[in-house]
Formats: sequence, structure tokens, C-alpha cells
Amino acid sequence: MHPKDQALLLETRRHFFGRCAVGLGGLALAGLLDRHLFADPKPASPLAPKPTHHPAKAKRVIYLFMAGGPSQLELFDYKPKLHEFNGQPIPESFLKGKRFAFMDSFTKEPPKLLAPKRKFARHGQSGAWVSDLFPHMAGIVDDLCIVTTVATDVFNHAPAKVFMNTGSAQFGRPSFGAWLTYGIGSEAEDLPGFVVLQSGPRGPRGGSACWSSGFLPTAYQGVPFRTTGQPVLNLASPQGVSPQRQAQTLDVLRELNLKRLAETGDPEIATRIASYEMAFRMQTSAPELIDLSSETRETLELYGAEPGKVSFANNCLLARRLIERGVRFVQLYHTNWDHHGGPGEDLEHSLPAVAKEVDKPCAALITDLKRRGLLDDTLVIWGGEFGRTPMGENRETTGRNHHIDAFTMWFAGGGIKSGQTVGQTDEFGFGPVEDRIHVHDVHATLLHLLGLDHKRLTFRFQGRDFRLTDVHGEVIRKLLA
Amino acid sequence: MIRPAFVFNLLVVTSFPALCSGQATDPPDYEKQIKPLLARHCYICHGALQQKGGLRLDTADAIRKGGHSGPAVKPSDSAGSLLFQAISGSGEVTPMPYKRPRLSDAEIALLKRWIDAGCPAPENEVVDESLSRRYSHWAFLPPVRRPPPMVQGNDWVRTPIDRFILARLEAVGLAPSPEADRVTLIRRLSLDLLGLPPTPEEVAAFVNDPAPDAYERLVDRLLASPHYGERWGRLWLDVARYADSHGYSIDAPREIWKYRDWVIAAFNADLPYDRFVIEQMAGDMLPNATLEQRIATGFHRNTPINMEGGIDQEQFRNEAIYDRVNTTGTAFLGLTLSCARCHDHKFDPISQREYFQLFAFLNNCDEPTLDIATPDLIARRDALRSQIRVLEEEQNKYYLDKLSRMSEAEKSRVKPEIIAILSLGVEQRDEKQKQAVVEAFKDDPAVVERAKTLADLKKRLPKFPTTLVLQERPKPRETRLHIQGDFTRLGDPVSPGVPAVLHPLPSDPNPNRLTLAKWLVDPANPLLARVTVNRLWQAYFGKGLVETENDFGTQGEPPTHPELLDWLATEFIANGWSQKAIHRLIVTSAVYRQASRHRSDLVEKDPNNRLLARQNRLRLDAELVRDAALRASGLLHARIGGPSVFPPQPDGVYRFTQLQKTWNTSTGPDRYRRGMYIHFWRSAPYPALQVFDAPDGVNCCTRRTRSNTPLQALTLLNDEAFLEFAQALGRRLLREAPGSDADRIVLAYRLCLGRSPSPEESDRLLRFVEEQRKSFKEQPAEAAAFAGRTETATTDPIETAAWVALARVVLNLDEFITRE
Repeated sequence: MHPKDQALLLETRRHFFGRCAVGLGGLALAGLLDRHLFADPKPASPLAPKPTHHPAKAKRVIYLFMAGGPSQLELFDYKPKLHEFNGQPIPESFLKGKRFAFMDSFTKEPPKLLAPKRKFARHGQSGAWVSDLFPHMAGIVDDLCIVTTVATDVFNHAPAKVFMNTGSAQFGRPSFGAWLTYGIGSEAEDLPGFVVLQSGPRGPRGGSACWSSGFLPTAYQGVPFRTTGQPVLNLASPQGVSPQRQAQTLDVLRELNLKRLAETGDPEIATRIASYEMAFRMQTSAPELIDLSSETRETLELYGAEPGKVSFANNCLLARRLIERGVRFVQLYHTNWDHHGGPGEDLEHSLPAVAKEVDKPCAALITDLKRRGLLDDTLVIWGGEFGRTPMGENRETTGRNHHIDAFTMWFAGGGIKSGQTVGQTDEFGFGPVEDRIHVHDVHATLLHLLGLDHKRLTFRFQGRDFRLTDVHGEVIRKLLA
Repeated sequence: MIRPAFVFNLLVVTSFPALCSGQATDPPDYEKQIKPLLARHCYICHGALQQKGGLRLDTADAIRKGGHSGPAVKPSDSAGSLLFQAISGSGEVTPMPYKRPRLSDAEIALLKRWIDAGCPAPENEVVDESLSRRYSHWAFLPPVRRPPPMVQGNDWVRTPIDRFILARLEAVGLAPSPEADRVTLIRRLSLDLLGLPPTPEEVAAFVNDPAPDAYERLVDRLLASPHYGERWGRLWLDVARYADSHGYSIDAPREIWKYRDWVIAAFNADLPYDRFVIEQMAGDMLPNATLEQRIATGFHRNTPINMEGGIDQEQFRNEAIYDRVNTTGTAFLGLTLSCARCHDHKFDPISQREYFQLFAFLNNCDEPTLDIATPDLIARRDALRSQIRVLEEEQNKYYLDKLSRMSEAEKSRVKPEIIAILSLGVEQRDEKQKQAVVEAFKDDPAVVERAKTLADLKKRLPKFPTTLVLQERPKPRETRLHIQGDFTRLGDPVSPGVPAVLHPLPSDPNPNRLTLAKWLVDPANPLLARVTVNRLWQAYFGKGLVETENDFGTQGEPPTHPELLDWLATEFIANGWSQKAIHRLIVTSAVYRQASRHRSDLVEKDPNNRLLARQNRLRLDAELVRDAALRASGLLHARIGGPSVFPPQPDGVYRFTQLQKTWNTSTGPDRYRRGMYIHFWRSAPYPALQVFDAPDGVNCCTRRTRSNTPLQALTLLNDEAFLEFAQALGRRLLREAPGSDADRIVLAYRLCLGRSPSPEESDRLLRFVEEQRKSFKEQPAEAAAFAGRTETATTDPIETAAWVALARVVLNLDEFITRE
């Protein structure tokens, strides 16, 4: 964005009544303001929908973030050769110049290749390889575009998660969801434009940096929704404050604030009034949103969702409900995929357990979106911050170490060419042989589908036009329908 | 509260350019020494862009050739050379640089030696036009102090600042706004200088003060308040990226509040800014460094620490140093140095090599934790620790012996986790793991006995604060350039140095971090004073004179009032780097004292109010939203400094973090401390701070954004802490204005907004109170729940609830969280 336009946007952001004024006797407010001083540019909420650079194939995103780094070698990237070479040291040529997490475990003795722990088969018309850990996903494989050659730059969890979300390992940059809502706004009337959900034993490493708005205005920051109790912090009115009392409070606040607006002429007060109106609407809409009891039994069963529980299945269903209400970007974190070996992180029991938690809901989400006609213009993303090594890592049991050269993600929906597996890794699954697709390329491609040119979606900060893709990124045509 | 001992033996800050490398008799090096000097001082008029008097000085040939007055130099005869006469002010020629600061004596001496040596220079020198362009950038040239301009509206003018502002306004035919009323003025001043609204008594005293200097005395009183250090210290902590945890994924707690308190004390003592910079950059290296000076180096210890398993330690050691270089650039130079980490800066004259020369200064410290206790106490702690260590080793040996004597069958009954823990060294086990092993062998009396002794010893460990500091290593690390900014790809070695576009480094045979600090505060630094006064200005008007307050480079916005910026910068240096003096200057100006009301005539001519024909309304900073409510409700516990505190926060904050954080909600006075003392977890900051745009504590923040979102509304309406403020305020109204409803509403307005309500406002609120009273009467259970603690057994919960409801409204007004 040109700095001048950016300045204009930031200025006009203040002049935000438009649709939010509807709830507060918009006419009176507009009349008052007309009398006043505003020959200003068009009023716009920071989250008002904005035009795209080119026609968009996808209007919204559901990002299923598999936190911890799922082992592609037990899930999608089938490497029979690893059976043959199981227990043998990986040829040194592979390791030259490479760095890994937990380096000492690899420097003590040369790391040995580890055979896949699971059975693989081809599925669907596309004949995509999927392991027996994902029987449900295997059933919808023709709706997916599986990419086995994604590459990233960093191999520790927190920096890698931040990298996957922001295109930089440095904390403090805007995340994908923030860039998107900054770029095209949101269609949600009474919910934030960017919502984050969490399931699994713990929150993702990196925490709020993963959904940060960085140097963009904080209006674009991801808002964490809790899926039990109060979905948003401070959403519930205090004890003793009924909806009616809250409404009375908002009435008097609006009148006094309007008076102040007339006295000072500061449009920021109009924004403040609108924020209070939206907060009030959220108090009703957010609990309604997380209440799954209105879903049919069939739908609940499809996802494996149980109202009142914290689960990935519930979150998948919530994601659908969120996008139905116009939310632009929903991100689901599910922990823990960090299978180094050892208690809670072994490939034998822990991996199948977490795979089972996500398999059915992921497939259900695709099926449900499809039958509701939402998949056509919704992008669904599945993947972690990196993958895992073809070599075993010896802890209490043998697991796999973090790996950044080639790992698997899948994409589905709006504008994605489904029913294909893109990318070819070498016989051990260590690195790409063709179609290396870097995180920056993934970002560029997804923005392209959302109607944005990653080179033009910029923000001037510290003297430089920043982008989600930094100075890199190419739209990968193979992924496009 | 600590009082920094600002006794400063060493510092007569020298602005002694070290232009001499090697022997004083060697001819100066043209490329390294002469050319940068000429570029800095002369290229703007005698370079590729302009050739005043037909003269250009950007190649040695051109110098020899000269301009309209003939050759600029007579090789080997400095006295007879026009160039030397001009810069030294000897001879008949006009002294140069024209209307700009003169060269330092050392620089003049250097040029003299070069001319006397016959003007040696390499053959085939090529003109580099970009050099002229870059060196002509306004921010790299020394500030020039020009007299404040003459204006028509002399009546309006209160300070020299006002002349600069008014001259611009008059030029475009705009009149300034009238002065704000006195209530607005005292509330504005109190919030700006202390971060707290005034009490009704303070307002009344000022409004009724007939003395002509009432305003100035008010300013002086506020500047002398210890809360001044809190308000302005907090803004500095933004720059210092202060937080109470290590960041990254583990985000363990850290103890560094002593640094925070040092900052507050430094502001309150008005520690001259040059010393303020030196002590933070290199306090540990000052001769006979005091404890406070060492604590000050916490500035660069605020970098995050990655404690994630499996990391490459060297990588994150380097990350911290990149951060320190970048922060030094942003905080003191207003330069985007970080752009030059991977390649030469694309826009500014900073090479990648120069980036790593700065890196070299900062690459040489250890990062110890400083014990803040008497030597006796430390000795006792150390003795106990070694006792503990011995006993733990003994215990461990016992475990291992026991294990080795076990049969396979017995061994198989020991849990694998325990075996795994025992395979770690004692040092690597945490307390939880140690406890687990004791638990596993709890049938063995010898184990239990030793565990008990250990627990007793640990209980006896004395507790005292610690803080994180820098400490220079005796032997410097070698710094090499990182190819493409990648620390695994090392290039050529580099020695400490500074960008050639800026003033030279002070003379020092072994330049180190202290040398860098002295270089930063050298009065010849064209950036430090400008960048600093610009940030002060920004805090008072919402935007700086340079809007890009963190980028004074060629891509930044030029200043709206360049002469004013330079005037303030030179004033800052001339007054001995007193920040309080600059504050006083700004807040006593007529431009600051204007009303903030929007004006229709400005919409066309100055929609963004860059010319300042009025003040700006500014939403309060995150901490101040809380502080204002604490002050109004009477709950504020005004203690300054000390360990961070844990006021109530909503449930569920840590459902999104990797590790659960401890948040033992403070009871007692600590519950009501100012926002700046709230424990700041980087991975999940206190929500009420975060929604009001408190910085993330990870990156150097020189300007906060001011958002306006529904989450802010939810916080003020529903957050437990804010409800408690409303309850306290409601009770206070009942207690302190026992007369009529109308009196209570007046008190509420005076406590929260400083002013009295208008009749319309009062009427509307009276109706609201009546409405609430009525509905609470119908729902007494709601009243009891909402009113919270009632004052005495006889206080009517319904009446209390109605006034809490009223208080909640006033605390939610836009005006309450705005500095008008």
C-alpha cells in the first residue's frame, strides 16, 4: 500500500460509523455529524470489507494448525525405502551444512534412518497416499491438495510457529490473519474478524505472537475464543447486571458520549460509541455462537462434537459457525504433535492418539462445508510449523526430530486444485526432489486466492514497506484450480 | 525506593574525534579519514547536487581544481590553501561551513595535515553521486540553531516554541485555538506529567489561583512529584522492551524490576540524558561503577531468552545482540539499523559491515544475574548452596548405588521416568524431578532423612532481589560479519566502529561498549538530541515533529517544523541534557495550552492537524486507564517501585499459552498499584493492558498505537478489576457526598473528569440513578451481588448498587479515558 493511502486508511479508520451506527439510531448520529465538521473521507471501520486487488476465489480461511510438527512420514509422505534402510546411518551427504534441533543427540553418533511406523495405502480417485492413522481423511482425499514438499527456515517450535504465521522468525510481526483482515476487512457484524481457537493439552508455543497484529493496528489482532465458559475475556456482564441493565447503561453512555462528540467534534468518539454497541452485540452473539446445542444430532456425530467439551471436534464445528457469521479468518491450534520419542511424545501411542483426535473432525469439516456450499469460497489449511526427520531420535523410545526441509501440508476449498498430491521428496523423504514450496510461497499463493497480490499488500513501518512474504514468495500455479 | 548515586567521576564527555589512526606523522588516509569528513560537512553545497561558487569537493582532483576563486588547496601549504582558511576562519575568505556548525579542532588539524602532506589521494577516483545525496540528508547534518522567527501574533506567544508554530500557521492563514479552560489544563498536565488525573482539591486550588504564574507553579509542582518518574519512566520502558518474563515459548518469569525502579529514579532525579544513556549502555564499565550504574545496564538485558529444549544457544545469543544493535539504533539514533544486518541498507548510508562493527561493540559481554544484598547475606547464601550441592551429590550417589545393586526384577519395578531422571546430572534436574525421585524411594529411611535435611537447608536460603545486568568480558570475542545476516556463515573479521556517515568515534586505543556509549552522547551526534526531543513532543501532541519517530533516515518523513526540531535539540544539549527543562518548555508553551476542539476551518487546510492550530485529544495509555480509575475511586496505593504485582484478571488467560503461568492475585494494597507495576508476561500479557495497546515487551517500542475496539468496551464494562473500581467509587460517592443525588453526580464528575456536569448531563444521570434504584428495589438479589462490599451494615445495598451503576457509567465515558 502506498504510504499516502496507508495514512488515509489510518485517518479514516477513525471515522467509523457506517454500519456500526445502524444499531444506535444511525440517523440521529449522522445528522449530528453532518451539522458538524466532517467534510472528511468516507467513513470506514478498520474491519469494514475492502476491495481486493483481483477477483478472489476464496473469501475466508479456516486454518487447522497442527502444533508441534506432525510426522509427515507416518501420515502422508510414504517412503518404503526407509524400511529397507531402517537402522542404517543416513548418508553424510544429506547432513552436510544442516542444523537441527537437539543437535547433541545427532552429534553423539550419526543418526540412523527410521522405518515408517504405519501402513500406507492409496485412496480416492487421485490415488493419494494416506496412512492408516487418517481413515476419515482418506475418505475425502479427492477434495484435498496435498503438498509434501513444504520448507521452512527455522527448527525450534516457537520461532517456527511465528515464522509459519508471520513469515518471520522474529517476534512482533503481523500474522497471516492480521494481514488478511487488514487487507480485506471482515464481513462479521458482531464478531471479530480474526478468531483463534485452541484444543489439546496446552496452548501453542509462541502464544499470542502467533496471532499478533505486529505493527498493524491492534484491531487486526486475532481474538482468542474459549470454547467453554466465557468465549471472550470479560464477555459476561458483572453479577447483578441483567441484559436490560446493561442496555440501560449503554443508553446513557451513548447519550453522554454523543454530547461530547458534538462538543469536541472528535470522530474518535463516534468510533468509541460504535465499539460499545458492538461489544453489547457480542455479549449475545458469542455465547450463542459457542452453544452447539442448536446443531443437529447428525452434524454433531459427523464431527464427533460434544456440546460443552473442549475438543478439536467442537472447534471444527465452531469454525464453520464462525465463518457462517462472516468471520474472515479462523485459526484452530491443536497440540501436541511433538513426537520426539518418550512418554507422551512417542510414535507408537501418542501419535495415533492425537491423529485420532483430528482425523474425523477434519474430514467432517470438509464434508460439512461442501454440502453447505461453503467449500467453494472457503480456504481450509492443514499443517504444522515443520515436519520430522527420516532419522530416528533416541530418547526413552525412538521418535523423530524436527525437520524443516520437506514436510506435508494440505489445502482445500476456494480456488485450490483438489485431488492431487504436489511435490516429490527423495527416497528417504529428507528433502524435495521437485516442487520445493517455501512457507513464503504458501503465503503468496493463499493471498492470491484471497484476491490479494502479496507484493502489494504492504505496510510502511520503520521506513520500509513490510509484507507477509518479506522480499520472497511466488504464487505456485500448480496449486490453483 | 532506590536513589541512584549519580556521582559521576569520569564524565566530562569528550567530543574528541579520533581521527588519528597510526602515527600522528603519517599522512591522513584520504578515503578513510578525509573524504567522510568532507562528505559530512561540505558535500551538501559542494558535491554532486550543488556546486556553490563553482566548487565541488567530492574528489581529490576537484579539490585541487577548485572553483570560481581558484584552486581550493595548494598542496603542502595549508596556510595558503583557501579550503583551510575557510574552515579554520583564517584569511580573507568567508568562514565555512556557511551558517552551519564549524568543524572540530581535531578535524581542522586533520585536514591541515593532509594538505601539508601534499594532498595524497588514490588515482582514478570516481565520483559517487549517491554519496552526496546520502550525506546531504537533513538528519545526518548537525542541528542548526536559528533564532525563532518573527510573527504577527506576539500576544499569543509564550515561549520560543510558539514562534516556530505560529509562523507556519500565519503563513497558511490559520489562527491558533484559544487556550483551554483551567480544568482541562490541570487535567491535561496531570495526566501528561504524572499519568494521574488531579484530585478535586487540586483542581479547585488551581482554578482559583489568581497569581499570574499559577500555571507555571503548577508545572513545577508536577515535575517535582515522584509520580513524574513513573509516567515518563514507563514510556522509556517501552523503548527498553521491559517485561517480567523471558519470552519465547517457555516464557519463564524473570526478576529485573530493579532496572525498572532505576529508570523511575533516574527520571525523578532528572539524570542528565547523556549520563542516562551511558549508564544504561555501559554503566558496568564506568570507573568504580556503583550498584545503580550496574543495574542500569539491565536496559540491554531486556532481550528475550529462549529456554526451549533443543535450541542452538549460539543462535539465540546472537539474536539478543542483533536486538541490542537494532534497539540502540531505534532508541538513540532513530535509524533502522536492522535493515543492514543481511545486506547494505537499501536507503540509508549504512553498510552491512558497519552494522557488524556496531555489533562488535556489543558482542563482548557476559550476562550475569546481580545479587542485590549485603556481602554477608550473599556469603551465607553461597555457603548454604554449596552445602546443598554436596548433600545432593551424596543423595544421588546413594540412588545410583542402590540402583546398581538391584536385581533385574527389582529394577523393572522402578518407573522409567525415574530412571530417566537419574540419567540426568544433578544440576540438570529441576525441583519437581528431584521430588519425584524421593517419592519413588520413600520407603528408604536414609533417602527420606537426607531429603528432609535438604528441604531444611533450602528453606534457610536467604531471599533477596536480583537483577539482570551486562558485564564486559576481559577478553573480547572476535566478531565476524554474518553473511546475509546468518550467524552460521561467518565472513571477514570486523573491528568495532561506527557508520561513516555520522560523527567519528572518540579517541580510544581499544574502543569498547563504553566508547560507543560516549559516541552516542557526543554533542556532535546529529541524531540523539533530535530523536529524543521528538519523542517528548510526540507524547504531548500524539505525533512527533518527525512523524516517523523511529526512522530519521532517508525513508522517514521530514519534520513538519525543521527549525523548531533543531532549536529544541540544541536547547536540550545546551541545558545539560535536562529532560525536565524540555518538558517545562513544551508544556508552558501556548501551542500546548490550546483547546483540542476540532475546527471546521482546519478540515480543508490541515486535516491531520500537523500544523497544530489546536491540541489533539489523546486516548490514555493502557496503564493510565487503570491508574485514572484507581485515583478516582480512591483505591490507588501510590507506592513507588518494588516487585511486580498481580491484580485480578479474568479467568482463562493461560488457556492459550504453552505453560500455565502463576497468577496469585494480590490481596491488600498491591491489588491497587499503578498499571506499570503489573507483572508482564510476554506470552500472555495482562489483558486490560493488552487491549489498550500496551507494547509487547519484545521489540523496542517508540510509539504506541491507539486503537478503539469492542474488547476495550468489554474490559471497562465487565472486568473484575474495573468493577471493583466502580464499586469503590460508588461507595465513595455515598460517603463523601451525603447530600442530594445531584451533589453525588457532581462529585463523580469532579473525581473522574475534573469538571462539573452540565445541567443536561446531570439530568440524564439523575434519571439513570432513579431508574437503577427502582429496578434494584425490585431485584434486591441483583443489588446485593452488584454492590459488592457495602460500607457498613446499615448501608442500604440497593442505594449502593444504584451508585455503583452510576460510577460504572462515568468510568466508561470516552472523556474519562481521554486526555482532552
